[in-house]
Amino acid sequence: MSSRVLVVGERRAGAIADTSLEVLDTAHRLAGDGGVAGFVAGADGEPAAASFARFGVPLVYWARELSAEDSAAGRIAPTVAAVADSIGAEVVLAGGTTFGRDLVGYLAIRWNAAVATGVTDVQRDANGLHARRPIFGGRATETRRLEGWHVALALRPHAFPRPPEAPVPGRVETVAPVEPSAGWREAKCLGVEATPTGSGPSLGDATIVVSGGRGLQAPENFHLVEELAASLGAAVGASRAVTDAGWRPGSFQVGQTGKAVSPQLYIAVGISGAIQHIVGMVSSRVIVAINSDASAPIFKVADYGIVGDLFQIVPALTAEIRKVRGT
Amino acid sequence: MEIVVCLKPVPEAETRLRVAPDGTRLDPEGVKYVLAGYDESAVEQALLLKEATAGARVHAYSYGPAPRTEEVLRAAIALGCDAATWVEAGAASDDPIAAARALGSAIGAGPYDLVLCGKQAGDDEAGLVAAALADVLGVPEFGYAVNVRWDAGRARLTLGRVTESGLESWETPLPCVVGLQQAWNDPRTAKLPAILKSRKATIGRVAAAEAAETGRTTPEGFALPPPRIGARMIEYKTPQEAAEKLVRLLREEAKVFP
Repeated sequence: MSSRVLVVGERRAGAIADTSLEVLDTAHRLAGDGGVAGFVAGADGEPAAASFARFGVPLVYWARELSAEDSAAGRIAPTVAAVADSIGAEVVLAGGTTFGRDLVGYLAIRWNAAVATGVTDVQRDANGLHARRPIFGGRATETRRLEGWHVALALRPHAFPRPPEAPVPGRVETVAPVEPSAGWREAKCLGVEATPTGSGPSLGDATIVVSGGRGLQAPENFHLVEELAASLGAAVGASRAVTDAGWRPGSFQVGQTGKAVSPQLYIAVGISGAIQHIVGMVSSRVIVAINSDASAPIFKVADYGIVGDLFQIVPALTAEIRKVRGT
Repeated sequence: MEIVVCLKPVPEAETRLRVAPDGTRLDPEGVKYVLAGYDESAVEQALLLKEATAGARVHAYSYGPAPRTEEVLRAAIALGCDAATWVEAGAASDDPIAAARALGSAIGAGPYDLVLCGKQAGDDEAGLVAAALADVLGVPEFGYAVNVRWDAGRARLTLGRVTESGLESWETPLPCVVGLQQAWNDPRTAKLPAILKSRKATIGRVAAAEAAETGRTTPEGFALPPPRIGARMIEYKTPQEAAEKLVRLLREEAKVFP
């Protein structure tokens, strides 16, 4: 069985986002002989379109005239739907970022698609496509059957591997944009202020996250977490106690009312593990907890635990990682 | 300004999850429902905008089965919402797109300037309703929004959007839909007299349009992960030893970095 699949790419710092590349394996598997095409929007989207092509997408449609310095999916969705129709696509895939999740929401209406977000597995059988996805903050998993001719899925970041570069790159073709609804004409993005993550990746993109909590005792100690994160090339997160106390802005918060992350490795430093926090990180692949209280609930969800004084353990860990990684 | 806020009742965070006998969904037996966390934020945002804007009104809508829907709507009235409408759900009530279509047809039938939703609900975590609802209404949607303000003089809504790249600043005329990511540190709580009064408030009721009842996804499996058995605790004599042991386990056993 085969079908045509359109993958929608997202730009990040002048290139294609990792989360967009992660959908390619699934795209090729679902497409079979049907073929995969790509889509990228924005005047500065050419490098992203080209890197999509380099990673094995044979034909990438580039909507150059779509202003897209912002990441508003609603501006782009009508063009995505039109391209999908013009190539006879049955499946649209995107990375499950803020952009990708909004995009499939629009495509549910605009393209009359059966949609799902946060998808960690897709299977096809005689009854159609079935998507599996974590729910309840990773405390359960559901499988849904997707009905109808059109399916649009946002795949969970870091749940799929990034493919290798293809021996023969694909090509990039420009495509005319479709006007979004009238309301968008007067909506303006006035600018983007980069998240203050230091030099590390952003929370949603990172494959490793190091978070700090109340156990750090004072804002001036938070650098311990940042140094550990830097040694790993990790993003920095925080518990609600830390953001509520104003040690770090709310954008750092991991948890039910902050960001939900699912990196390969999550290190919780001085975080006791309130349910509020747990639901935002429990679906991480490997969890490490460092805490002075052996009875802290964080140790129930962690894979590896160190009970002790974080003011001694964390610098030792940073030094050890620098040593083995040569960073 | 007519502010609409969309509310979803979800199982409370402490719910012990169990699989229903048919294996396709959460066993609803004994589950207590509360207003979804981000929807609570949306109510607070709606009420703050109302207080800052002369002549503003807040109308709460909730799609789903009784009685949980009615309970969150009464709670919204107790907090200060002016009107409430229950959009009755049928069989497809757990499909977020069915919800967006039903809410869209109910909201579109009345006056609205700004529609506020939570960015996602803590049960299905789909995060689809805001964008889909906006496309049903034919207006722009701004998801993952924070710092929403109404500039009455210029007739523009200003807001931030928290994305993977950073914080986007937006301004837009109304109408539009906003999917809220804001978390308030101390949202208001209802006072007892308001709670008592809300019990007698009239809740409007509309049946979901038939077309809206066709969900496009069907739940066919609900599984609980094997319980985590708890952390392997690292024994050590010095911090250096703890660090060396942990790094070795992360490289050789967990294989999270080379």
